[in-house]
Amino acid sequence: MPRRSEPQARTRRFEEEAVEALLAGYKTLPGVHDELVDAEGYPRAHWHSMLAALAEMGVEEVNRRFQAADRHLYRSGVFYRVYDDPNGGERPWPLSHLPLVIDEREWQALERGLIQRAQLVEAVLADIYGDGQLVRSGALPAAAIAGSPDFLRPMVGVDPNGGTFLRIYAADVGRGPDGSWWVVSDRTQSPSGAGYALENRIAIGRALPDLARSLNVVRLASYFQAMRAGLTRLDRSGEGRVGLLTPGPLNETYFEHAYLARYLGFVLLEGEDLTVRDNVVFVRTVAGLKRVDVLLRRLDSDYADPLELNPRSRLGIPGLVQAIRSGGVAVVNAVGVGVVEAPALMGFLPKLGQRVLGEAPILPNVATWWCGQKAERERVLDSFEDLVISPAFQRTLPGLLDKGSVIGADLDRAHRARIKAAIRARGVDFVGQEAARLSTMPVWRNGKLEPRPFILRIFLTATETGWKVMPGGFCRVSDSLDARAVTMQSGGRSADVWVLDAGPTEQTSLLPAVDRVEIKRQTGPLPSRAADNFFWLGRYIERAETTLRLLRTLMGRLSSSLEGGGSSLGGLVSLLQLWGAMPADLATTKPARHALAALSRRDLHGSLPNIIEAARHTASVIRDRLSPDAWRTLADLSLMMAEPVPAASAEPDAYERSDRALRALAAFSGLASENMNRLAGWRFLDLGRRIERAIATCRFARTLAGEAPTAGALDVLLELCDSQITYRSRYVMVESRAPVLDLVLLESVNPRSLAYQIDAIMAHLDQLPGHLGDEPPPPEERLAARLVASMRAFDALDFDDARLREIEGQLMELSNDVAERYFIHRQPVETPWDLVS
Amino acid sequence: MIYDIHQTTAYSYAHAVPVARHVVRMVPVARPGQRVVASHFAVEPEPVEWIETRDFFGNTVVHIRIETPHTQFRVRTRARVEVTAGPALDPAASPAWEAVREASSSCLDPGPHSPAHHMFPSPAVPLSPAITEWTAKSFPPGRPMLAGAIDLMRRIYEEFTYDPRATDVTTPALEAFNLRAGVCQDFAHIMIAGLRGLGLPAAYVSGFLRTEPPPGKERLQGADATHAWVSVWCGEEDGWQGLDPTNALIVATDHVVLANGRDYSDVAPIGGVLIGSGKQKLSVEVDVIPMPEAPPARELEPD
Repeated sequence: MPRRSEPQARTRRFEEEAVEALLAGYKTLPGVHDELVDAEGYPRAHWHSMLAALAEMGVEEVNRRFQAADRHLYRSGVFYRVYDDPNGGERPWPLSHLPLVIDEREWQALERGLIQRAQLVEAVLADIYGDGQLVRSGALPAAAIAGSPDFLRPMVGVDPNGGTFLRIYAADVGRGPDGSWWVVSDRTQSPSGAGYALENRIAIGRALPDLARSLNVVRLASYFQAMRAGLTRLDRSGEGRVGLLTPGPLNETYFEHAYLARYLGFVLLEGEDLTVRDNVVFVRTVAGLKRVDVLLRRLDSDYADPLELNPRSRLGIPGLVQAIRSGGVAVVNAVGVGVVEAPALMGFLPKLGQRVLGEAPILPNVATWWCGQKAERERVLDSFEDLVISPAFQRTLPGLLDKGSVIGADLDRAHRARIKAAIRARGVDFVGQEAARLSTMPVWRNGKLEPRPFILRIFLTATETGWKVMPGGFCRVSDSLDARAVTMQSGGRSADVWVLDAGPTEQTSLLPAVDRVEIKRQTGPLPSRAADNFFWLGRYIERAETTLRLLRTLMGRLSSSLEGGGSSLGGLVSLLQLWGAMPADLATTKPARHALAALSRRDLHGSLPNIIEAARHTASVIRDRLSPDAWRTLADLSLMMAEPVPAASAEPDAYERSDRALRALAAFSGLASENMNRLAGWRFLDLGRRIERAIATCRFARTLAGEAPTAGALDVLLELCDSQITYRSRYVMVESRAPVLDLVLLESVNPRSLAYQIDAIMAHLDQLPGHLGDEPPPPEERLAARLVASMRAFDALDFDDARLREIEGQLMELSNDVAERYFIHRQPVETPWDLVS
Repeated sequence: MIYDIHQTTAYSYAHAVPVARHVVRMVPVARPGQRVVASHFAVEPEPVEWIETRDFFGNTVVHIRIETPHTQFRVRTRARVEVTAGPALDPAASPAWEAVREASSSCLDPGPHSPAHHMFPSPAVPLSPAITEWTAKSFPPGRPMLAGAIDLMRRIYEEFTYDPRATDVTTPALEAFNLRAGVCQDFAHIMIAGLRGLGLPAAYVSGFLRTEPPPGKERLQGADATHAWVSVWCGEEDGWQGLDPTNALIVATDHVVLANGRDYSDVAPIGGVLIGSGKQKLSVEVDVIPMPEAPPARELEPD
C-alpha cells in the first residue's frame, strides 16, 4: 500500500464521508498540540492510513475487532492486573484500542534525545556513587542528593558489576503546545511497563493485523532480544542463570514480572529463594544451592538487603550488598539508582548535560526549580500560583502534599499559606515545576474519535554497542480532558505505540504483526519455593476432586434414596466431615442442605470455595511456570465458586455444580498431563496429587469397607474410586468385600487404586534430584519402599481399619519428609534486640 | 583523658538459632579528638564468615555469619581510647541559625561529614510538626546556632524524665516526646527531629560514657549500656559540636565515640537477622574506666 505522504494529502484528500464522520466532533483543546490533526483540523499524514482503514471497516467491524483484543487480554490473564485479592481486585486490563502513531523521522529524533538522556543519567549516577566531582565543583548541591531516600550510602564507592549503573532506563515524555517533546520524569529504579507494552502490541496486532502490516509497524521483539542478550552477557560463571527478582505477588506489577520472566526465559525469584554464602548468591533449588550471577531487580533498592539497607525488609536477601561489593553478583539496575528519579535533580540535569557530556540537551525536561537554593526558592514563591509544587524527593509530603504534586492555583488560601511557610522553612523538600500541558491523541469512543491527553513511557536497554530504544512504548491515556502533566501520573488507560517504518519492509517469515521472540527456555533446577507450590497445587487440586466426588455421589444416592443404603450415606457424610467440608455437628435429616454448604460456605475450612481458593493462590505464585490455559481453568473454577447458590431447588443445583466443577478439574488435569514438560515442576505437582489420592483412597476404604460392609457401601466405594465398570465386567455378582478391596487397593493397573498411587510416588522419588546412588536412601524413599512392600505382602482382606490407618499415617509422614528435603522452611526471622541507656 | 573500655553484650535465646547474620558496630575508630590506642573485639560462637569494613560515615562495621546452632551469642569489646577536648566554642559567637540552614542546603561537600546527610528525615527519625514547633521556641530569629542548640538540650534535660521503663529501642521519637520521658536514644532522636524540622543538621552519635564520675560529681545517666547523644553542625567554620541532652552536657572528655550516623538505625551496635530465636534475653555490661595517668602504650592483654 502506498504511503500517503504527498503534499496534496493536506488538501482534503480524505473527503470520504466515513472519515468525515469519524472526525466529526473531534474537538481539540485550545492551546494544546494534537497528534491526529493539525492546527487547521486536517489529519496529519502519518495517520491517514489508520483513518482510512477505520473508515473502511465501519463502526461495527471496528468494535468487533476491539472486543476481540479485549478477549485476548482476558484470556492471557492480563485480566488480573492487580494482585488477585479475594475482594474483587481483578480488573480487566484497561486498553485504549487506538494505538498512538508516530512517524519515523520524529521517532528518530526522540530516540537520539533519549539516548543522550540515558548517557547523562548514567554519568550522573557514576559521579554520585563515585568521586562526587559534580558536587565538589559546585554543579550540584550535596543536599540535592542527600535528600533522596534512594541515595543509599552503603553503595557509595561500590562499582556496579557489569560496568554500568543502568541497563534499563525509561523516561516519561510528553509533547508540549509548541510540538516539541519534553521529559516529564526519569525512571531508573525498576521501570515497569515494558511487559504491558508487549501485551498491548499482541492484542492490537490481533485486532488490526492487516493494518499493522501495511503500515510497517516496527516490531518490539528486537528490544527484548537485546535486553536479554545484555543481561546474559553479565553471567560470568557461564551457567546462564539470570533471575528476575520480584517483591512477590502482592506487588501491583507482579503480573508483569511473571510475564517477563516467562517471555525472557529468566527464573522468577523472590528474596526467600535466595541466600548469600561467601559473597556469592545462590538459589535454593530442589537440587541444592545453585549460583545466580545476574539479578534483574524489580524489587526497590532499599528493600534488597535487610542487613545494610532497610532493616525492616522481609523481601530482600541478607548479605546481598556485600555480595555486590565483592563482585559476586550483578544486580540490574544497580542498587541505589533511584536517586536520580528525584524531581530535585531535574532542576540540575539540563545544565549537567553541558558539563558532563559537553552537549546541549536534545530533549529538554520540564523546567524545575529546587527550593533548596535561595534564588530558585524566591522564584517559586513569587510565581507559586502558576507552578506545579511537588515534593523534591518523595511521592508525597505527609501533612503538606499528601497526594503528591499540586498546582499552586488549585489550593485554597489556607493550604497555600501553609505550603509557602513550609517552603520558607524547609525549602529543600520542595520543587516548583512548569505546569506543562501535554498533547492529545485520539481514542475510540462510541464509534467516534475523541482527543485525550497522554503521556508516553519509552524504554531503553544497554547493549554492547550502546543504548537501544524500544520502538514503541507504554502510553497512558487520560480519561479526562485535563491536559496538565501533573494529573497524568495515575489512572487512565494504556495504548499501544506504533512507530512507522518508512524504509523497505522486512516481510520476513514472522506472522503478521505478532511479536515473536524465539528464545530458548532455560531449564535449570526448580527453585524450592516453586516446587513447594507445585506440590501443594497438586494436593489441593486432588482434594477438590475428592470432595466433589464425595458430594456428587452423595447427591446421586439422595435422589435414589428409595434404595436405602443409610449406612453408605452416613459414610459419605462422615468422610466429608473428616475433610472439614461439612459441619461436624450436623443434623442428619437434610444432607442435601449440607452438601450445598460444602459447595458454597467459606466458614468451613474444607469447603470447595476454600480449597479452590487455596489452589488458585498457590498457582498464582508460580504463574510464570503455568500455561495461560491452566491458569484460566483455575480462574474459571474460582468464579464458579463465587456464583450465588439459589435457596430453593438445592439438590439438582448441588449436583449440577459438582458436575461442572469436576469437568473443569478434569480440564486442568488434562492440561497438566498433556501440556506440561516432564520436568521437576510437573513431578512435584503429580507427587502431591498421588499422595493426596492415596490418603483419600485409604479413608474411603476404611470408612466404607470395614468389617461386614453392606453391598450399598461397597458400591459407593467403587463409584468413588471410579471402578464400577471394571468391577461389573469382571464379577457377575453383587459387591463383596474381598474383590472390591482388591480392585481399589491392590490392583496396580487400576489408576485409582492405592497401589497405583504408591508405585507412582516411588517412581517420582526415583527421578527427583539429589539422591546419589551410594548414599543411604533418604527417609521418604525408605517410607515409600515400605509402602510398596505392604502392597505386595498382604491380601485384600488384610487391610483392616488399623492397617489402613497405619498406611495413611505413613503417607502423611512421607509428605512431610518430601517437604523437609526439598522445600524452604519458613521460620520466623528476627532481629537482635538492643539496650540503650 | 585515657579510658579503658570493656563491654560485653550477651544474648540468650529460648530456641537454638541455627543461622545468624550480624552487622556489628562495636569497634571505636580514630576521629578528631579521639585516638584509639588499642582495641580488641571477639564474638562467640565462632563465625564462619568475618568481614571487617568501614561504612559511609567511617564507622567500623563487622559482618559475621554464624552457622553453629547456638542459644548464646556474646560480643566483647575491649579498647583503650584517648580523648582530647577540642577548642571550646563560644555559643554566642556561632552564626545565626538561619545562616547555618542556608549553608547546609548549599553545602558542596558530598562526604561523610557533610551536613547535607543530616538535615533530612531518616529511617528512625521522621519529621514531626509537634516536635518542630516545640523546638522553634529555642530558635528565635537571628539566634546563634550553638546557643539555640544548647538551650534546646537543656530544655530536654529539664522537661523530660529519664525512665528506662517508659520506652524501648523501637519507640518512635514522637511517642517519647508525648510521654516527656525516655532514655538517651529517645532524647537524641527528639532533639534531632526538632533541629531537622527547622532545616538544621543534626547527627546521632553512639558511644560510651565514663562509668564513675570524677570525685565530687554525680554519676552520669546512660553509663550502664551503650550511650547516645547528638552532634549539631554550626556552620562551615565551627563544624560539629557534640551535645548530650540526657546529661545536659557539652561533649568534651567524658564521652567516647563508637559510631555516628543519621539516627539509631545507622549505628545500631548489633544488627542483623537470625532465625527462630523465640524469646531473647539480653544483658549488657559496660565499664569505662579512666586511666590514672598516661600509661605506656602497649598491647592490651587478652582477658
